[in-house]
Amino acid sequence: MAKPKVAICWLGSCGGCDEAVVDINEVILGVAKAVDLILWPVALDFKYNSIKPMKDGEILLSIINGDVRNSEQEEVAKLLREKSQLVLAFGACACLGGTPGLANLRTKEDIFNWVYRDAPTVVNPEGNYPQTTTIVNGKKLTLPEIYGRVYALNDIIPVDYYLPGCPPPPHLIMAAISAVLEGKLPPKGSTLAPHRALCDSCKRNKSKPERMAIRDIKRIHEVEADPDVCFLAQGIICLGPATRDGCGEACMNINIPCRGCFGPVEGVVDSGAKFVSALASILDVQSDEDIERIANEIMDPVGYSYRFALPSSILQRKTGKNK
Amino acid sequence: MSQYKPKVVCFSCKFSWGYLADEAYLSREIENWIPIICTGKIDTTHIMDAFEKGADGVLILGCPEGDCHYQDGNYEAKKRVYLLCRILESIGIEKERVKIELSSDPEGRRISKLVKEMKEELAKLGPWKGNVVAEKMPQKKEIKAGRGK
Repeated sequence: MAKPKVAICWLGSCGGCDEAVVDINEVILGVAKAVDLILWPVALDFKYNSIKPMKDGEILLSIINGDVRNSEQEEVAKLLREKSQLVLAFGACACLGGTPGLANLRTKEDIFNWVYRDAPTVVNPEGNYPQTTTIVNGKKLTLPEIYGRVYALNDIIPVDYYLPGCPPPPHLIMAAISAVLEGKLPPKGSTLAPHRALCDSCKRNKSKPERMAIRDIKRIHEVEADPDVCFLAQGIICLGPATRDGCGEACMNINIPCRGCFGPVEGVVDSGAKFVSALASILDVQSDEDIERIANEIMDPVGYSYRFALPSSILQRKTGKNK
Repeated sequence: MSQYKPKVVCFSCKFSWGYLADEAYLSREIENWIPIICTGKIDTTHIMDAFEKGADGVLILGCPEGDCHYQDGNYEAKKRVYLLCRILESIGIEKERVKIELSSDPEGRRISKLVKEMKEELAKLGPWKGNVVAEKMPQKKEIKAGRGK
């Protein structure tokens, strides 16, 4: 019997997710025995053209990481969707938009002007900007078109399963792959990670006082954080209450607060808004001036509450469907 | 073209707003009026939900300061609205789209007045733009064509 075909592909991604697949160590050899890897641009030399002649649904599973920001990424995502039975959005970028999604706070023109004209390290006297087509010595060269904003994968194609994280931890990757191979999958649209919030499994949870009340917000580098006490109780912003569990608490263990790479808990669409609610209710302030002072103490509120999820937030979705 | 008519969702606490009035009458009078018990119940996700379903603005009417039936629910709502407004502002959405007023009007006559006032304010702002990015997306002209020379 032919082995099931699996594709691993990166779109707008840093490569960390592909690295995470390699991080499952020798287990990957077992996976390679059980399946036929037909595409993995970061590790293996297969071309997109070898996918095009395939039949629809011939690939069992496509593991796609990274967000979509240009026409090439969109084309590859649509090609893989057409040829695959299952698509797994892998990592925070594919699931939620990821950190590159913060680029949505600026326009494409702003970004281009900074990168190709205004940044102090740029020397570009001729004012050259990347073009989708350029004629050089009579030959036509092409580049993908960059879109006006960053999209999460499910804005472009239907996605069957989600595995968040920046990057997803090895134990969840293995669980996801074996669930596909054994056919023991939850209903479509599920996130293949625990449903609870990170605070539920956090070791520091016991240390938090009965009624949380913080009067000042501090940044992690400004104080020496106690490694055993809840970050929020110390006045340090931690996204644990609004973030899905399952990451293995890699950040907590090195005394760094949660930044929310696992996205919202089950049933919540907009993790940032949910976090704002949670944070507001533990602020111990009495007067309007106090609210103002403490709210202004939060540097970059969007960066904190939507670090990994800006493109999938309701505020962006409302008008952002068109390209 | 018909004139732009903003939609406002109004949440009001039953402990201070309109408890003497006929609720059925008021809800015919005020579009998208949601009487609730305690504004402390309103989560930012409810406000977002209103926006997602087509609201242009959200007005929250809570009890006067120090008068919350459940100790400090009105104040909790105020803190949430304040933080949410900061987020909206940094994303490029006018903070005037979310408003909270802590006061009291048992007969509820002021509710429709306040909603009307907010609608007028929103009409000046124009329709919901989502954010700057979505707004300016299709522009390509600013980028120069060709390779310089």
